Amino acid sequence: MTDRFRSFVRFCGAAELTSIGILVLAFGIPLLSSSPFLVSLVTQILIAIPAAFSVYVMLRMDLMTFAVPAFMAMGAYSAAIVGLRAGITDTIVLTALSFAVPALVALPLGALVLRLRGVYFVLVTFLLSQITQLLLFETPKLTGGSNGLAGMPATTLFGVALEDNRAVLFLAIALALLAAAITMVLTRYYRQHFAAIKENQILAESLGLVVWHYKMLGFAVAAGLAGIAGFSLVNMLLTAHPSSFSAMSSVDYIAYTIVGGAGSMFGPIVGSALLVTANNMFSNRGEYSPGFFGLLIIIVVLAMKDGIVGTAIKLAQRYRGRSRRIVLTPTQIPLQPAAAAEQTPVADQTVER
Amino acid sequence: MATASTSVTAGKAQHEGELHVDAIGKQFGGLKVFDQVSFKLLPGDILGVVGPNGAGKTTLINIISGLLFPTHGRITLGGHDITRTVFHGRSRMGVIRSFQQTSTFRPATVRENIARAIRFSHGSEMPPRGMDALMKRFELSDRLDEQSDKLPYGLQKMLGLVLAYVTSPKVLLLDEPAAGLEIRERGRVDDFVHHVREELGCGMLIVEHDMDLIRRLCPQIMVLDSGRILAEGPPADVLARPEVIAAYMGAAEEVAEQC
Repeated sequence: MTDRFRSFVRFCGAAELTSIGILVLAFGIPLLSSSPFLVSLVTQILIAIPAAFSVYVMLRMDLMTFAVPAFMAMGAYSAAIVGLRAGITDTIVLTALSFAVPALVALPLGALVLRLRGVYFVLVTFLLSQITQLLLFETPKLTGGSNGLAGMPATTLFGVALEDNRAVLFLAIALALLAAAITMVLTRYYRQHFAAIKENQILAESLGLVVWHYKMLGFAVAAGLAGIAGFSLVNMLLTAHPSSFSAMSSVDYIAYTIVGGAGSMFGPIVGSALLVTANNMFSNRGEYSPGFFGLLIIIVVLAMKDGIVGTAIKLAQRYRGRSRRIVLTPTQIPLQPAAAAEQTPVADQTVER
Repeated sequence: MATASTSVTAGKAQHEGELHVDAIGKQFGGLKVFDQVSFKLLPGDILGVVGPNGAGKTTLINIISGLLFPTHGRITLGGHDITRTVFHGRSRMGVIRSFQQTSTFRPATVRENIARAIRFSHGSEMPPRGMDALMKRFELSDRLDEQSDKLPYGLQKMLGLVLAYVTSPKVLLLDEPAAGLEIRERGRVDDFVHHVREELGCGMLIVEHDMDLIRRLCPQIMVLDSGRILAEGPPADVLARPEVIAAYMGAAEEVAEQC
């Protein structure tokens, strides 16, 4: 293994570990500050992060999903219905439920929509979000219809009620951390498989990869991550309402991921933090925020395709590379006899570099 | 060995790498692109498939590899019916194809490309026998850490062949392996085919426009025209037949010259 390969591996791990580390550090915020503005802002950011991870996981397979609000709604309503109707408030149970319900629903849906790619997948997942919202409005007995489900009891952890804003933030951090851990394990463990699907699906299949399995797995986990975001949201609002899950809001989560950078897990975190903060600053002029997002996506797509994190890494590499630029020896054009090639061990190449 | 209209004898013990294609046809709506194509490919066989553009050569590879299903007819591998087996399923059974264009995992290194091919096909990390020799012959050994799409075109195509090789195929379908290669690079396709025959001994089907290459490598060829088998047999005989020359039209002079 050469240095370059090793540093590549190290770098990949680094992005994941930075993400986890930053989320762990966020636990300091509810301990150190009680500013309601800060606590509320950070909570919103941490709700956005699992939703952005959902987009990130699907982008690993070159699929742009607009179904995040649909699965968020499933997670949110599962927690709200169980909390209100069955009186279950245990955070661990609700978390498991908010992950499992959307993930299970995603399996049959995936069998239908994962045949599609590119713009067709985009369209169908967008419709999925619209249909879900319509269903929420049209089934008042179960979901409260246009009134939503209000008055959910506060969630509890080991019997302790998580009532004040800081406790809500504490749970939002824990849920974001869980989502980050799930995302890391999935995308690192199946890194080769997802990359192969993204880079050349036909070749991957021709070599024997059961592409369909990995797409299903990715879709189900992405749905579960969105469900966690949904639970985190109702835990803050103590209300589940269809307006929180409009199909248009899927654009926000995509914006978080792409503006932050879809190349590593750190991108969605940076994107969520920046854009949710920006959105809050625009909040007295809410009607401009979609326009602002659209503009940002255009700028990022045109000027920095790898998002903020990807561009920063590239700049850093270029800066570092200037001091010790790799000079590749010109390739030998005349065909070398096989015997001569045998005497050139691969190690020599790395020494040259 | 390629013979027309072979019927598969059910129940008869076959070698596991024996491919039988029995009267397959493909229709898109009312359009018959393919009709009554039958042949056998035994381990060690090298069957050349030639024909004018649009004759159905790539469609044939698509049908055998499972990218397309035939409208009628039957395909068996080692006596097992694989007519309805999906693409990746056939790959796992050992029916492996290469692609006309360069086909690699573009942003990944050569090493990563090969690691994925080994892992996806065998679920292991062990490189198969004879891979190193092949890599050296293609001068890919020195370029393991280069990004695959930064390689010269010829080497990208060779990498595509190596990816197919490391899956240890039982039947190998090569779709124009020499297309786009410079003349001096074409010998590498010969090297590859000889290497596969020695190391794996699997049956190979080669679709190719380079008649010299077909003559060098294939003891048997099959001429396709408009989705039918026009002629088959040893290349020297077949390529001299007037109907084959006529089918080639534009290429007729070239074929006649070479005979």
